[in-house]
This record gives sequence, structure tokens and C-alpha cells, in this order.
Amino acid sequence: MALKPAFVTEVQEAVRAHAKLLPRGGGTKTALSTPRAEQTVLDMTGLSGMLEYDPGEFVFVAQAGTPVAEVEKLLGQHGQYLPFDPPFVEAGATLGGTVAAGLSGPLRQRYGGVRDFILGVKFVDGQGNLIKGGGKVVKNAAGFDTPKLMVGSLGRLGILTELAFKVFPFPKATATLKVTFGSLEAALEALYKLAVSQFEFYALDLEAHPATLTLRLGGLSEALPVRLERLLGFLGNPAEDRRLVLEGEPERGYWRGVNRLEFGEGYLVKIPIQPKKILALETALSTQARCYLSAGNLLYLNWLEPIAELDSLLKTQGLSGLVLRGSTSHDVTSLESPFIGVNLEQAFGNRVTAALDPSRRFSPEP
Amino acid sequence: MQHKIPVSQLGPQGEIMAHAIEACVHCGFCLPACPTYTVLGEEMDSPRGRIFLMKEVLEGGLNLEEATPYLDKCLGCVGCVTACPSGVAYGELISTFRGWSEPKRQRTPFQKVFRMAIQETLPYPSRFRTAATLGKLGKLMQPVLPQFLQAPLNLLPDELPMAQPLPEVIPAEGARRAKVAFLAGCAQQVLQPNFNWATLRVLAKNGVEVVIPKGQGCCGALSMHTGERERALGFARNNLEAFPPDVDAIITNAAGCGSGLKEYHILFHGEPESALADGFVKKVKDVSVFLAELGLKEPPALKQPLKVAYHDACHLAHAQGVRAEPRKLLKSIPGVELLEIAEGELCCGSAGTYNLEQPAIAATLGERKARNIIATGARLIVTGNIGCFTQIQTHLRKLGKEIPVMHTLELLDKAYSG
Amino acid sequence: MSLSANPAGLLADLARALPQERLLSQPAQLTPYESDALTAFRARPCAVVLPETSQEVLETVRLCAKHQVPFLARGSGTSLSGGSLPIDGGVVIGLNRLNKLLKLDPQERIAVVQPGFINLHVSNAAAPYGLYYAPDPSSQPVSTIGGNLAFNSGGAHCLKYGMTSNHVLGAKVVLPTGEVVELGGESLEGLGPDWLGLFVGSEGLMGIALEIRLRLLPKPEKYHTLLAAYDSLGKAGEAVAAVVASGLLPGAMEIMDSLAIEAAEAAVHAGYPMEARALLIVELEGETPQVEAEAKYLSEVIAQSGPYEVRVAKDNDERMRIWKGRKAAFSAVGRLSPDYIVQDGVVPRSKLGQALSEIERLSHQHGLRVANVFHAGDGNLHPLILYDGKIAGELERGEVLAGEILKMCVALGGTITGEHGVGMEKKEYMPEMFTPQDLEAMHRIHRSVDPDELSNRGKMFPSGEAPALSHGAHPLEQAGVISRE
Repeated sequence: MALKPAFVTEVQEAVRAHAKLLPRGGGTKTALSTPRAEQTVLDMTGLSGMLEYDPGEFVFVAQAGTPVAEVEKLLGQHGQYLPFDPPFVEAGATLGGTVAAGLSGPLRQRYGGVRDFILGVKFVDGQGNLIKGGGKVVKNAAGFDTPKLMVGSLGRLGILTELAFKVFPFPKATATLKVTFGSLEAALEALYKLAVSQFEFYALDLEAHPATLTLRLGGLSEALPVRLERLLGFLGNPAEDRRLVLEGEPERGYWRGVNRLEFGEGYLVKIPIQPKKILALETALSTQARCYLSAGNLLYLNWLEPIAELDSLLKTQGLSGLVLRGSTSHDVTSLESPFIGVNLEQAFGNRVTAALDPSRRFSPEP
Repeated sequence: MQHKIPVSQLGPQGEIMAHAIEACVHCGFCLPACPTYTVLGEEMDSPRGRIFLMKEVLEGGLNLEEATPYLDKCLGCVGCVTACPSGVAYGELISTFRGWSEPKRQRTPFQKVFRMAIQETLPYPSRFRTAATLGKLGKLMQPVLPQFLQAPLNLLPDELPMAQPLPEVIPAEGARRAKVAFLAGCAQQVLQPNFNWATLRVLAKNGVEVVIPKGQGCCGALSMHTGERERALGFARNNLEAFPPDVDAIITNAAGCGSGLKEYHILFHGEPESALADGFVKKVKDVSVFLAELGLKEPPALKQPLKVAYHDACHLAHAQGVRAEPRKLLKSIPGVELLEIAEGELCCGSAGTYNLEQPAIAATLGERKARNIIATGARLIVTGNIGCFTQIQTHLRKLGKEIPVMHTLELLDKAYSG
Repeated sequence: MSLSANPAGLLADLARALPQERLLSQPAQLTPYESDALTAFRARPCAVVLPETSQEVLETVRLCAKHQVPFLARGSGTSLSGGSLPIDGGVVIGLNRLNKLLKLDPQERIAVVQPGFINLHVSNAAAPYGLYYAPDPSSQPVSTIGGNLAFNSGGAHCLKYGMTSNHVLGAKVVLPTGEVVELGGESLEGLGPDWLGLFVGSEGLMGIALEIRLRLLPKPEKYHTLLAAYDSLGKAGEAVAAVVASGLLPGAMEIMDSLAIEAAEAAVHAGYPMEARALLIVELEGETPQVEAEAKYLSEVIAQSGPYEVRVAKDNDERMRIWKGRKAAFSAVGRLSPDYIVQDGVVPRSKLGQALSEIERLSHQHGLRVANVFHAGDGNLHPLILYDGKIAGELERGEVLAGEILKMCVALGGTITGEHGVGMEKKEYMPEMFTPQDLEAMHRIHRSVDPDELSNRGKMFPSGEAPALSHGAHPLEQAGVISRE
């Protein structure tokens, strides 16, 4: 059963009235939005729409159920964008769902992820109180940073109702260079060199098979050709058959494709990682579709085997993962928890969780 | 901060102290610039902390004797003055406070004798020569002497140069471009007489006539900075009289003496000689500044290139703001590659009589300085102060490095003479 | 302090746990710790502890918990909000000796430091690898990473890459209960609630960071630093709005007014045009071809904003001089006035002009000079209210004026603090921003981590324990508007 509140007060009433609740936005991350038997789903898409947006301010406030696509469309009309680049835009991801899942995309390479752009939040806590944190100006040090706290909280600390973000101007021109390497080691070596170089990338992605770096440059169109040339020079002018430059609509289309994270059947898992851990992990992976974003800091992995196998693999690699969704053949209802790999629980988190949700209304566990 | 310093009771010296204390906004920019804070890591051993302590003592909130252990650790290097954005005149504050507090202090008989020995010896070249000669005997007995006597002995050279009395006038070579009076300094006359001879030769070479007033004595800085205000006034009065008014500048080649002379207007604040002192101060210049302003006659090129590290004496760089001029002179010697020393703004620990009074901290700072100097890879160290010269030489040797140390003017002199 | 507090027992235990020279309790040792960089407040701790290892910090925290004595951890004591003011009768844990660089991994672009490590030293250590640590509070040669973390310090270059919080990847933390937890991780990405994000900027209320993992950025290839002089503050404010609207994204945009220019010039001889009513500093940074192309657009935007003089830094020395003046400006204002209050409010950038003229009006109304030097690109104002503490009533008038400026910032849609934190100074203004329910939720979070409120007790939350004021009751207290009971 699902409730669909249209006002914040209805969210508060729902919280007070139900013992177990699971907020859901666009439902694009099925592993996070599929309820357990005892959970009542709170469909947040009724709380939708931009509340404040002055393009000259580069800040907006919107209801949590607002589809990201709607936000991006409006921002785009003013040459602006969400620099953290949330995925699943076409599929209907909402702002609230993106924050609760803590998801960013390839463009996070340039200026940071969702945690770096959230300014303010309103949420309903486990007792039905409407709580505000942060503000709607680009800099704010007053009070605890509850907006950041909510990033990745999966609705387990409170139900997001309103969010404020800062945004940036989208570069006037972009170009993307794909370069393939003879080996993963060679690609990683180039990644390291690029990451400490003075080149500024909007995206710095790595694929393992074939070992490929995808580099996105952005800026003023008059400077782009020479920057691209310098970049090729820095990479030792790779042969024509090892490089591909994308511009214009094909380039934008390529990145829309990446944003879908559409790998077919399997479990889609988010894995925070570091470049130094990639080689070891890669030796344990085979044909699974995957992409390392943001200079080897963020892995989106499509897993075809039972999730328990990935769980133990991640543990041996010292990594943790979050299962985002399954597919028809990869059921998410049977997942014990979307968190796999190394357990990140600690006393600090447990206490804060209990403070905000003392009755454990938002906890999936009984 | 609320201040209740009883300026009316403290008199003119109180005004100087209150003015400096009230200018401090407690921002902490002085902390990394302070050698004792760097070494000890305690707020009361920082300029900001000491200002707080002096304030409390003056306002009656703290006993003087409780504050003095921390105030005594101050080197008076005034590195904090360079770092201070608010313009707190810390140097004036600490000197004035020491003068104000010294008569009120309860010192042990030993401390009294030790201080008296310094005050009665160092400012007088002839007495110092005698003491230093005795010190040579002391060196032989060093292994059996108590700790407090080790520090002064460590700094004495093994061989004392012959006394070479300076003439009263040194004429300019060629056309006279300027006429200056020269302060000969106390300890350096005994320890490194060549500093003065080199200075005089370089000045003459550059067309400067130098008079060396016969009646001159110690600048008084030593007494001023250790709270012996009356003694300092005596020295200063003597110099006001001894130096002729008809010179273009009063020149020193010792950083400590230069900054001492430049503090005469503070010393005489509220005294009858106040106006006279103001006029005197305006004429005082370090020899490097004077030569840089005059325009140095270019020395011939060195036979081979030389890596030189210039060490900023605190009483030149911080107290007088003199950094560029000595570097400019050194760079004008063809073949000199000038190197900068890491943490160059940090005191070497010499600081007048500091290495006699606080040998442990002085030694820590000396070693730190020596290590930073060694790291430059320089083949020669140049500085503009006798205290730094001795301290650096001592600590380089302790680390087993025999890198020669020279006065800025000695290198210029050598360059001229080929 | 709670009834069960046992400072005597604590001192006895501390004396057993630490060498004598690192446990300070004599009046002359405590006095210098009584204030941080906000000298309007003073408080006397019962002791100052100077640990040299994480273990000693842990031990001290555990003993404080055992004896129920509150503690304050501080680095260099440069807080402008009274954040590092001691708790009356509590313990000060001075972390400045925990100043080691534990790890520098240029390949992974990570530095791990102890909390007493100085901000600028991170960039110095990273410089040989072409890397730097981005947050640059004006206090960066002095302030420590631990303090920066506790107060989420900002700086002039926050426009593009954010504040301290955006550059801390992880921290090992001792909670006020004495437990040790790891927050954050090694990756730029995380999983689960952003506990580290909550901890950063929590003003020392949730414990002490023992090890801090920082992210380093490659140093920009090229800087283009432009200085524009205007005959009015309003014009400079409009220029900022125009630059923001143009779609350029400078690394920094700063404004100084005539009083601040005068002070900074006296302090560091930056070579600023002295007759200017307002100076705007705009700095572009990035790849050379991009910056050179942007510089052309910037020149056009600036030219249209009506400056009477524009300079571009020719070399790094000139750039450093421009920044030195800006960064010394706060303390330099000490040259113009024996005392001042710094405010830190933020307004939406489009309302900068409105806010500045309101500050000017308030300044006239209260008969006190106000110097302005601020992060214009962020809308982060720093009005410095000049007063003379020796003149009866001036401090009180200054505090009323400061309060009115803060309320104005909130009314315009902004906040009471952009980067200095609430600390002691602005806690009574928290209700201007947050409802009792908001504050209660923060309090719940706080108490869940620190049930006895031992860590930096009395800060940030309104109506905490009354501080020891060096100047008597707050004017708003006298007027019955606020209470510290």
C-alpha cells in the first residue's frame, strides 16, 4: 500500500500514523524503494515543484519529489546545471531520491558530488516534526550540517520534503576525448598523471575492457581546440585508432547514455573506491559491465551473480557497496540489506539515528 | 578586550606599554613567527600570550614574579612585529616593560651577580677582552664547570684576535660622496675586529669619509633590552653628546646596535633629551642601507661562482625592516649566487645576551638554524650581526660543518680586494 | 557545570597521566588561554593540557568524562566567534603539539594530518607535487586543520571548490564519551548517511578529531588576478553581480571598502589605490588558454561596471601582495580602532548592494564606523564594527549594531554566519534562523553523541551556560531581550 501526500503536513501525519515507513521518489533505485512487508510506502512525487529560483543567484529551492529532469530543464534554460550530475534523470529520478541515495555522476569530477552542492534541507523526523537545516545561500556555518547528513541516508533519518542547492554555469562548449590503452595498468598510469596535472576535467572516467579513459573538457569555445591539442600532446599524441573526439550532439548523446547506467540484467551497485584499489579488484572481475567515474573514485558495477558473492568479494578488497537496483532476473525483494561489503556501522551513526528516529519508523529492521 | 592599565600612575613609560597592549587584537598571526612558541608550543611563550601577561601584571591581576619566567624567555627578536597586521609595537612594549619591572623583581644573589657581570663586561671592549681572555682559561676547565657557565664559554673563540685600535678619521678614496659617523660596537671589536676594518675599507672605497667619535660607548641596547633602563639612559646620553651633528648619517654594522640606537626616542620618551634623541634616530642607518642608497661601486667578479646564504639578523630584518638592501649589495658582486634559508624569519637564538640567560632554548634554535642553513648547500654564510655570527658558527661546528661565516661587509671587502 | 563535576579529582588523575610540564594550572599559565581571537569574552579554565599523542588526548577526554568536567579542544585559538573560548572551570586541551603530517600521498592526492597541523603547512608540504589544499581562511598561516574542521572554515577561494567540509575525506574522532570512531573514508564518494559531513562544522560539540584525511587539488596552471577600484561601494557590489551573471566562475571575488583599504595598506603596503572607496579583487584560475580567454570577458564585464582604475597582477609577487593585503585586513583594522567586532553574515549575492547600504545606514544611526572587507562572490559579508572599549557605551552600541546587521542578513534570506561559526558570539541569534523545533532536533543529535554536554559546552546553542563576560552583561540581556540562564 502507498500513501501519496500532497502537503508536508500530510507527511507529518503519515509518520505519526505508521510504525514503518519507506519514502519513495521516482522509484528508479528499486533496491532502495521496494518496501518490506511491514513498510508503508510514502510516494513523495506529490510534493513536487520548484519553490525558488533566481538564475542570477545560482541557487534554487525545490520540493523533494521534484523530478531531476524538470530541474535540469529549467536550469538549462539559463545556461546552468547540477554540477554533481545525478544519474537516472530520464528514468524519472527525483531530487529527494538522489540525495537519499547519495548519487552523483561523471561530472562530479569537476566540482564535487551531491554532498558538495546541497545547501539546505527540510525533513520530517521520526516523531513527525518538520525540521530545517542549513539555508539557501552558498555559504552557511550556522548550526549542524544536517543537509550533508541527509546525503546517502536512504530515508532512514527522516523524510526529505524540501531541498536547496547551489548550481553553476554550464560550460559554453564541451568536448570529449576517448583514449584506449594497451593495458589497464597503462590506463591507470595515465589516469594518475592526468589527475595531478593542471588539466581540468569535467569527467575523467575509466573503463577496464578495453582499457579506456574518457576525458571531458569544458569552457569557452575559443580555448577548447588548443586545450584539446595540449591534452593530446600530454598523452603522447595517441594514434588515430586509439582515440576518438566527440563534440556537439554526439557528445551530449554519449553522456546521456552514461547517465542511464543501463547495463541490462543484473544488480547495479555503487562502490566508492580509490584508484589504488582498482587493479586488485579488476583481477577478481570478469565480464561484468562497469564504469569507474571521477578519476577512479566511484564505481558503478553491474553484477550478474548472486549478491552474496559480491558481498564477500568486496569484503576481501576492503570495499563497501550499495545495491541500487535489480532487474527482472535479479530480484531485490530478497536482499537482506542494500549495503554490502565492509560494514560501515559505528557508534556515532547509531546514536544520531536513534536521536532522529527513536521509534525506528524508518528502519527496515523490525 | 577591556583594558584598565593605570597609565596615569605609570607615567610616560606606561603610555608606551598601554598603547602597544591595546593595539593587540589577539588574532594569533604572531604565533608562527615566534621562536619560543615554535619551540615550546605554549600560549604564554607567544607574543600574544606575553602581551596578555604584561597586561594582567600592569592591571594588578597577576603577580609579576608569576609572569616573569615566560617574559624572560622572550628573545626580543621582534619577529612578531613583522608578522603583526595590527601594528603592535611589541619591541617597545617588552623593552619598556622590562625597564619598568626590573627594579621590582626579586632576583637571587646568583642571578644578580650573573646579570651584573654581563652588564659590567659586554658593553666595555677592554673589560670584555680581559674577561674573554680569562674565559680561555675557563675553556680548559670547561668539563668540570657547572652548566650555567658552559653557555658563555661555548660561544668564545679559541683564539682571540689582537686588539687593533681604530683611527678617528678615515678619509674617502677619490671624490668624497658622503661623510658619516661610525659606531664601533662593543663585543665585535674584541671578537671580530675585521668586521669594522672591512666596513671602513668598503666605505672609503665608495668615497665615504668616516669619523669614529672618540667619546662613543655602548649603544645601550643590551641594558635596554634586559630592563636596565637607567644604565641604558647613561649610555645613550653619552652617545647623544659624542656623535657630531655635521654628518650625513650615523652608521652601524651591527644589527643589534642599529636597532638599539633607533630606539633612543622610546628610551627618552618623556625625558628632557626627547627632541635631541628624535633627531639622532633619524640619522641612524645600517651600513648596508647606507651603501645601497648611496649606490655601490661595482666590485670585480669573483674568481669562481660562490653559493652564499644570507642570514637575516632579527635586529636588521624585524627590528629595522632591513631585508632587501644587504641582499642587493651581495647580488651586486658578480659570481655570487644568493640562497634563501628556510624559516629565515626565525631567530637563530643568539639575541643579545639570550644565549647566556636561556641557553637551552638558544641552543635548540641555534641547531634548527644551523640545519636549515646546511640544507641550502651554501658554501658561505653571510650575516650582518656579531651575535648571529657567533651563534651560527658555534652550531654549525656542533653539527660538524665548517662552513665559513662572514659579515656582509667582509664579503664586499674581499670582493674589492680580489 | 553539572553537580557531579569533580575538577579536583580530574586534576589529580591528569597529574598522574601527564608529565608535569604538560599540565598547566598556574595563573600565569592559564591567563593567556582565557581568550581566542574574539577578545570580548574571557573565561578561566581549571587546567590546560598539552597532549603530544592521540593516546594522551583520548586519556584526557576519558578522564574528563569520568569526572564530568567539560573540556574544550583548541588549536591556535584564532576563532573569531569565541569558538575556542575556554569553558569556565573546564579543561582546555591544546592540540597545537599534535602537529604531524602523518601521510602525504601525492598519487592519491591525499594528506593525513594531526589536528594541530597548520593549514598553510598542508599546501607547503604538497607544493613539490604540484598540489595544494584549497580552503584558505585568512588565518591560514596560523590556524590548525583541527580548528578549521570544527568550524568548517572558509576563505577567499571558496567560490569554486567550497569550504573545509568539501575537502575533508575522513577523520578519526574521539567522542565525548571516550569512544573512538572513524568517519568518512578514503574515497571522494561515500555510502550511508554523511556522518563526517555532520561532524565537520559541529563546533567541537561532538568530540575531537585525532587524525584528519584531506583531499589535495592540483595547483591551477594560471592565475589572473584583477584589481578594480571604484568610487562607490555600490558599484563594486554591482560588478560582482555582473561577473556572476556573466557565467564566469572566478576562484575568488573580494571587496574591501576605504577603511579596510587604509588599514591593509598600512599593514602590508600592498600598493592598493588609496583613494578608492571600494576595491574589487577578482581572480580567475585554471588552464592557461581557458583563463586567458576568460580574462577577455572579465575585462569587458569589469569595464562596464564603471571602475576608475583596473590593474592586473603582472607576476606572482604582485598577486601575493594583493592577497596579503586582503588577508591581513581584519587584524590590520586594529590600527584604525582599539577595538572592533567582526560579523560574518551572508546575503544572497543579488542583495549585496541593498545589504551594504543598510549597513551604512545602521553605521550612521549608531554613530560607529564600520569597515567592510568580504567574500563578495559568496555574498559573505564581514562588517567590522569599530569602537573604543574605553569610551562608555561604545561596546554596547557596537553589539546592538552587530545584532541588527545579523537580523538584516536573515531577513534578506541569508544566514548569521558564513564561515566563522556561531561559537559564543552569535548563539543568541540562532533563533533568528531556526525554529525551536529545529534547534531541539539539533540538541537531540548533540545529546545523543554527548549526553553530558562535556565537549565545548555552552557554545552554538542559545541559552547555554552563561559565559564569563569581560565586559558585564550583554546589552540585549540588560534590555531583557535575551537571557543566558
